[in-house]
Amino acid sequence: MKLTWPLFLAWKQLFPSQRKVSFFSLLAIVGVALGVNVMIVVVAFMQGFQQKFRSDIIDSQGHARAVPLQRKIAWRKDSQKIASLPEVAMVSTYVQGHLLVQNRDYHAVPFSMGINPSQPKGVLPINEFLKKGFVPVHGYDSKDITPVPTINSLEDDVVFITQQVANRLGVRAATVLILDDQNVTETDGKVQVVRLDPYVESEEWMIEFLAEDRYKIKNILGSIELNCSLDEPAADLGWGYPQFRVVPGDKPFSKGDRYRFQTFRSSILEIYSPTMIEQAKSDEMAPPREVRVGGIFEVPWQGFHTDALIGTHRFMEDMRGEENVCDGFFIKFQTNYLHDENKLGELCARLEGELEGNWRIIPWFVENAWFFDLLKFEEYLMVLIMIPIGLVAAFAIAIALMTTVLRKIREIGLLVAMGGTRFAVGMIFCMQGFIIGTLGALIGCGLALLFIRYRDSLMSFIVTKIAGEEGQAGVTQFYDFYSLEVPYPWESEQSMITFLTFIVFAVLVSTIAGLLPAWRAARMNPAEALRSE
Amino acid sequence: MSNQRENVVLKASELSKSFSVLGTSDLKVLDEVNLTLKQSSSLSIRGDSGCGKTTLLNLLARLEPADGGTIFWGDREIAAASQTHAMEASWRAKHIGVVYQSYYLIPELTVMENVLMSVRLSGLPITEYEGRAKELLEQMGVVNKSMQIPAKLSGGERQRVAIVRALVNRPQVILADEPTGNLDERTGAEVMDLLLSSCTKEKTSLILVTHNPTFARATNETSTLTDGKLIYE
Ligand SMILES: Nc1ncnc2c1ncn2[C@@H]1O[C@H](COP(=O)(O)OP(=O)(O)OP(=O)(O)O)[C@@H](O)[C@H]1O
Ligand SMILES: [Mg+2]
Repeated sequence: MKLTWPLFLAWKQLFPSQRKVSFFSLLAIVGVALGVNVMIVVVAFMQGFQQKFRSDIIDSQGHARAVPLQRKIAWRKDSQKIASLPEVAMVSTYVQGHLLVQNRDYHAVPFSMGINPSQPKGVLPINEFLKKGFVPVHGYDSKDITPVPTINSLEDDVVFITQQVANRLGVRAATVLILDDQNVTETDGKVQVVRLDPYVESEEWMIEFLAEDRYKIKNILGSIELNCSLDEPAADLGWGYPQFRVVPGDKPFSKGDRYRFQTFRSSILEIYSPTMIEQAKSDEMAPPREVRVGGIFEVPWQGFHTDALIGTHRFMEDMRGEENVCDGFFIKFQTNYLHDENKLGELCARLEGELEGNWRIIPWFVENAWFFDLLKFEEYLMVLIMIPIGLVAAFAIAIALMTTVLRKIREIGLLVAMGGTRFAVGMIFCMQGFIIGTLGALIGCGLALLFIRYRDSLMSFIVTKIAGEEGQAGVTQFYDFYSLEVPYPWESEQSMITFLTFIVFAVLVSTIAGLLPAWRAARMNPAEALRSE
Repeated sequence: MSNQRENVVLKASELSKSFSVLGTSDLKVLDEVNLTLKQSSSLSIRGDSGCGKTTLLNLLARLEPADGGTIFWGDREIAAASQTHAMEASWRAKHIGVVYQSYYLIPELTVMENVLMSVRLSGLPITEYEGRAKELLEQMGVVNKSMQIPAKLSGGERQRVAIVRALVNRPQVILADEPTGNLDERTGAEVMDLLLSSCTKEKTSLILVTHNPTFARATNETSTLTDGKLIYE
């Protein structure tokens, strides 16, 4: 059966000679393209959100968490055993519980976790959390130049708390402001504070230039006065004092240049533990433990406790009044286990076996299943809503093609008289549906790619138009458009599947929409068709 | 006998057709019509309006089944009452050309593409027929319109294009149903001239349905359809 001529005619009816495109085909193709575009974009973004939450969760708690199934357990040995496996990238042990934290009359009972700060890179990216939670103080005539705290400040008498806990207690970490000063001449050079540990006291500091390359660091109390030269590395006053660094610019400093700084010490918290309450019952009231706020952190994953405290492993042990405790460990696997959940599940089961059933190893997607089920449900719901829209578009194509069939009755008769089979004549209309579907799907994919490429500018445009500048902050905080990873189809298998699914869907639906007109044309009696007016 | 039969390109014997019309008795349009058409001969059919000329052509082209009788396409024998088989389509594409009163050019295609449609439909290679199509268009005097779309052509030009389309793939028979019916007398005469001369030149047989006695007389044989019977004159 020769079907090249129906294809030729189908193409020509959509794109007639001497005319670029027929109005009908333009509308139909644009319709299909928009439909495909919207469906791909919605699903791709849903997947992008999922991907984002997934990586946030993994960043916040690793790929899996091991929970002991017995009270007395050789956790050091077991965690080392797990850490030595080739599939495992990192293991971080933790102690957890709730503590009562007090500042003057304010209280909070955050979820508290003790980790090991000596591990430079644990499963939890604490430095990232601190960076996210850091909020500079806005001064009227001063500027906050506090360096973002790092895990290096975590000691047994220092804790990190979340923004919520800090607000509730009215506390903050050590802060340093640079005060606007009249005595600074025009120069590009500046003075930075490179370290501000939790033990720094509230004080005023000054850096005064004695000459172009010599300066003096002193505090207002006058207890410290240090002469320094630009040629030497900056003087380190030691722990408990801010460490300054002078960065010369193109223009030199001059004698009399003066920079003034105000440091504020970090807040001191009083902490009570459940153990201490037990002790109080037996009249051995112990004083609360005093710790300093080393930094404010924020965990990117919304499902994490909003009221949280991070201290050292030792600190948590002290609060428990026990030694050698471990409530579990976070595990991060090698990256090739990142994407395949089945593989990850199997691996966790295998690790449980290796640890002789003393630990339960819970992969992240099991721990947060509720959340992902919700997201998946939302995605399916979207698709479910969009499919009828697609079908409506298909009806539109079917109706338009049907009108074409009725308008072309005599041509249909002629084509049969010229030797076309009725089947082939019907195929002309079916193929039009196919061509519309294919072109529409391809253009729709192109639009979707453009949308993914320019999503940030598009999204911020839409969000500011809808929610306004202020609303935008709220929307972006939750969805974080600007860091949303929406992969191109050549970057991720899942994205490829999404694109292909909707291409196939569009082509199939449009072709099926052409079937009815095709059948109508094929059923026609050619002699009567030729007679028709 | 066999020699004679080889020469026959189209033959109908005892072809009958009646239409059932609601509320009246069946309308008998063709009553055992016999017709023989030899190679490169031409036959004209005249008759009153509504006597069944178009119906006869449709039956010969197997566009609808008859009530009875036999049709021979060359040496292929077909029971005229049978439903048209898809296999007949390819024979029709190769061996029968059609020209109608309305030109039935496909509006989305250029003149050239319209002409080549019959080549496409018979499954022949387009490129080999482009030259021939051009030649025929040249003979018909419309070669300068070959890249135009039909909407920009006059009626006479359209019918010339339709004739080229019917001839281009070298069919054995052309069935022409009042090809000049829509044209003024002078143009009609010109077009008819071209049709007849091309058929002679191409050695193509022709059945010409016409109301015009002058055109009818120009064919080898003339006939009239009356009361369902075809009477040769
Ligand atoms: N499908 C049909 N159903 C019922 N009657 C039909 C049908 N087709 C044709 N007829 C009738 O058959 C008769 C012959 O029609 P036909 O078209 O063959 O006439 P004709 O000789 O070609 O006429 P004209 O010269 O006007 O073209 C007419 O009376 C017409 O009404
Ligand atoms: Mg007629």
